[in-house]
Amino acid sequence: MDKNNFISIIIKLGKVDRRVIFLLIAVVVLLPLLFPIGLPIRATDTTQRSFNAVDALGQGDKLLLSFEYGPSTKPEIHPMAEAVLHHAFSKGMKVYIVCLWPDGQFMAIDALNAIAPQYNAVYGEDYVLLGFRPGGEAVVKGITSNLRKLYTVDYQNTLVESIPMMQGVNSLADFKLIFSFSAGYPGTVEWVQYGSDPTGVPMSTGTASIQVNEIIPYENAGQLRGVIAGMPGAAEYEALIGKKGLGTSGMDAQSIAHLVIVLFIIFGNITYFLERRRSEKKY
Amino acid sequence: MFWKRQVHIAIVFITGILTLFGWFVDSPRFESFVNDDATQWYDIIASFAIILGALNLLKLQFLKIVKQKKDWQYSILAVVGFFFAITAGFFWKGANYIHINNVTANVSTVAPVIAEMEQKTIEQVLPLLEGADTYDVGHIFIIKGSAKKYFDELTASGVNAEMKEKSWGEHLLEEGTVFNWLFKYLFTPMSATMFALLAFFVASASYRAFRIRNFEATLLLLSGIIIMLGRVPLGSSISAWFIAYIIVLSAGMGANIIWKNRMTTFAVVTGGILLVTILGWISGWPVDKPGFLYLPVLQEWIYTVPNIAGARAIMIGIALGMIGTSLRIILGIEKSFMGE
Repeated sequence: MDKNNFISIIIKLGKVDRRVIFLLIAVVVLLPLLFPIGLPIRATDTTQRSFNAVDALGQGDKLLLSFEYGPSTKPEIHPMAEAVLHHAFSKGMKVYIVCLWPDGQFMAIDALNAIAPQYNAVYGEDYVLLGFRPGGEAVVKGITSNLRKLYTVDYQNTLVESIPMMQGVNSLADFKLIFSFSAGYPGTVEWVQYGSDPTGVPMSTGTASIQVNEIIPYENAGQLRGVIAGMPGAAEYEALIGKKGLGTSGMDAQSIAHLVIVLFIIFGNITYFLERRRSEKKY
Repeated sequence: MFWKRQVHIAIVFITGILTLFGWFVDSPRFESFVNDDATQWYDIIASFAIILGALNLLKLQFLKIVKQKKDWQYSILAVVGFFFAITAGFFWKGANYIHINNVTANVSTVAPVIAEMEQKTIEQVLPLLEGADTYDVGHIFIIKGSAKKYFDELTASGVNAEMKEKSWGEHLLEEGTVFNWLFKYLFTPMSATMFALLAFFVASASYRAFRIRNFEATLLLLSGIIIMLGRVPLGSSISAWFIAYIIVLSAGMGANIIWKNRMTTFAVVTGGILLVTILGWISGWPVDKPGFLYLPVLQEWIYTVPNIAGARAIMIGIALGMIGTSLRIILGIEKSFMGE
């Protein structure tokens, strides 16, 4: 095969149908899921700071979790929600859950059903799900000023005043830490602006990878204590608490998929240069 | 005209000014209005907005079907889905369960039936039944008829069983109800599928569009690659020395482009490889050293330095824009909220 033929083949390969790329991505995502490689996971500083924020709380401390994600971002955010619940229940914290998204309530129930029984956590004594309220930032403001006015009943329509662990909880200032699991608006930004900043209650967050750019300035400014960034962040948190979960199992697939995309980019550029050189020679 | 324009503008002006004063004036009345009343009004209005949104969606989809616009068939699916969800939420609970009385005297006979319904072992069920006079079976039947078999078995075993329904509201979240089924088996996989498609489009788009056309595009491409690899565990397994060798080879390519001299290129590449090898050998080839060549450290730097600088500039710009627009709305200069 002469040089020109070889270059022609490379250029031709560069114009491969996108369905072939789709197929390759599907294969490289699927294979590591079926045959895990077990790549080592190293916690980044932002995840470590999130872990430290939760870890600093002790038995009986009140932790407010907010669920602001739905099924679309569940693979990314749900593992971190479960990991934080593991961490909180293992240390005997009192967990309070609110939802700014309607789907968040389903996600919270899912996570609680999976984790709470492992620690024999009792509803109303160890954790409570206050549920969803519409209004976005107005809900955050409502919780900040008077939680009891906004939440008179929990998600099962049980009167809040009859729930034992709600005694003495009247506003955001009664919590030791806010932790938001957020996939967009309303979410982390609203909690920082209308909740954490005005009250001084420390806050941390776990977000979808796509949202990290928007959130990271708040972390850098000290308004957030760490960020769990996407599925890699969830895997890192799982490694820190020593509980392998969905985040860890997805990491091999994500690693290989990223590598394949990078290889695609490099190959795409090679074909681009070859094509450009060939057209320059022609004219 | 007065009712259509001035009243609206006056409401916006008064509410806007009061809300603004709540932040700057140390008055409990203002603070109470902003923190409690105004936010509750907002909650109520937001709830009504959901109805408006639903009606608007229906109107658009119906118009598309009636006028047979492009892909109007999908609108039929949207309308059917909408009414199915409304029915499951407001009209058809589909949340029947069996309530058993006088359990205590018949534990041994009802336990196997309950275990079958709840998909548990008899050993798991027995402790739940001991000492309980009544028992609500933890299995939901969408249609009452589907419970007939179990109902008959329970009645035959001597207990007094009756069909009950979960209350309104409870039926949305209880496992096994129509609405829960809708959420779990239709909405969840469809939403996840839509989001998962991103990976395929990103791969295809980056293959076709990520080209080294100029300096800015090269920077973007390099940052993209560093973040993609640095964020995942694979990145932390790539040695900083490997990156150093890649940089040496890139330097060789650069030297070749600039000087177009084989000897110079050879000298740059050989010198670079020797230097990296000697330094690596002396330091014992640590994977994460030197830090500035280690992908996770590099990606963290990109996130926390250039990215934050850009993000902050955008945020401050947006905030200034919001202040300007808010003032224009409060003062009645901007009337787009009235459809003007």
